[in-house]
Amino acid sequence: MALTIAIHSYKGGSGKTSFAINLASAYASVGKSVCLLDVDLKAPSSFNYLLPESKHWVNDIFEGRYGVMDVVKDVSKEMGTKGAFYIGYSNPDILAVREVSSKDRKWQSKALKLLMAAKKDLSNAGIDVVILDTGAGVDFTSVNAIAVADHVISVGRPGVSRQRLMEQIIGGVYMPLDKDCYIIENMCHSDNPTDLSGKKFDLPVLASIPCMCDVAVRGDNEVLVLTEPYHIFSKKIYDIMESLDKITS
Amino acid sequence: MTDNSSTEEMIRLLREISGKLDRILIQGSADKESDDGILDVLDVMTLLTLPDHLRTTATALFELGSATADELAEKTNKERAVESNYLNQLVRMGHVAKNRNGRKVYFSIGEGLGK
Repeated sequence: MALTIAIHSYKGGSGKTSFAINLASAYASVGKSVCLLDVDLKAPSSFNYLLPESKHWVNDIFEGRYGVMDVVKDVSKEMGTKGAFYIGYSNPDILAVREVSSKDRKWQSKALKLLMAAKKDLSNAGIDVVILDTGAGVDFTSVNAIAVADHVISVGRPGVSRQRLMEQIIGGVYMPLDKDCYIIENMCHSDNPTDLSGKKFDLPVLASIPCMCDVAVRGDNEVLVLTEPYHIFSKKIYDIMESLDKITS
Repeated sequence: MTDNSSTEEMIRLLREISGKLDRILIQGSADKESDDGILDVLDVMTLLTLPDHLRTTATALFELGSATADELAEKTNKERAVESNYLNQLVRMGHVAKNRNGRKVYFSIGEGLGK
């Protein structure tokens, strides 16, 4: 079975998408066969327009129109990765976003079944790692993806108020769904408390990534783990990948 | 002057009553929805409200798609009789559908069409 990781955050702006792109690229760069899916149907990121375009949308999987392998596109040549690098985008067209926002619970229940089936299809196609870039907070699109994943990585900016929110999500979503969860403290400042793991749950913190202006600026135009593997940010991503390998092997 | 202020007060109260009636009407239509069996849909938010044992069973069934009590017990590492009991509880709650195929009974996540 493919290792399926949902990248989640309790609020937007935590650097979740940037982290997801770089983690997926790191896996592909070392020869793993990877699939990165943007499952944030309500606020599609199009992976910040960093990766090549595709003809089909992740929305088609949730609608049952296409299977996951018809939707994803291998961009390993364009990205220069050793392993296969499949990507699937959510449709950023406002009509598609509005349509998703009006879906009822029955549709969401079916969407969960279809996403479970997609995970199986990806495993059968020989994908080693599936990374689901979810929406922030708690709604159907994000929790469906969490339910499908084997592991959840929660990306958050450190701070006491955020620690409380994190505990709510750990206790109210991750734990009841029986997920292995890890924390990435992102955009850390030395003068800020950096413990997001919470006293109550004490989850493993895989990395504390310092706040770096050039990551924010360059992240819009390049995938740092591929263009500058020795950058502090890239090194942290590779360390996280190694920690995950140890945990899951 | 007094007449004017009492008229204004009456209009204010009527608006308040009108607002309350609007809310009652909205509430009424929400109740009707649940009567139509929509509450039976097993979506991920409902999954989160289930007790632990039923949530484990239902999550495994989401993954398997359709399964017998035997197949489900194998996945959850529990006794077949225990899983069969949980599955039937979920059937009674309207979340899971039960179909017989020859000698075997298959369970699957329901479509939310009522009990």
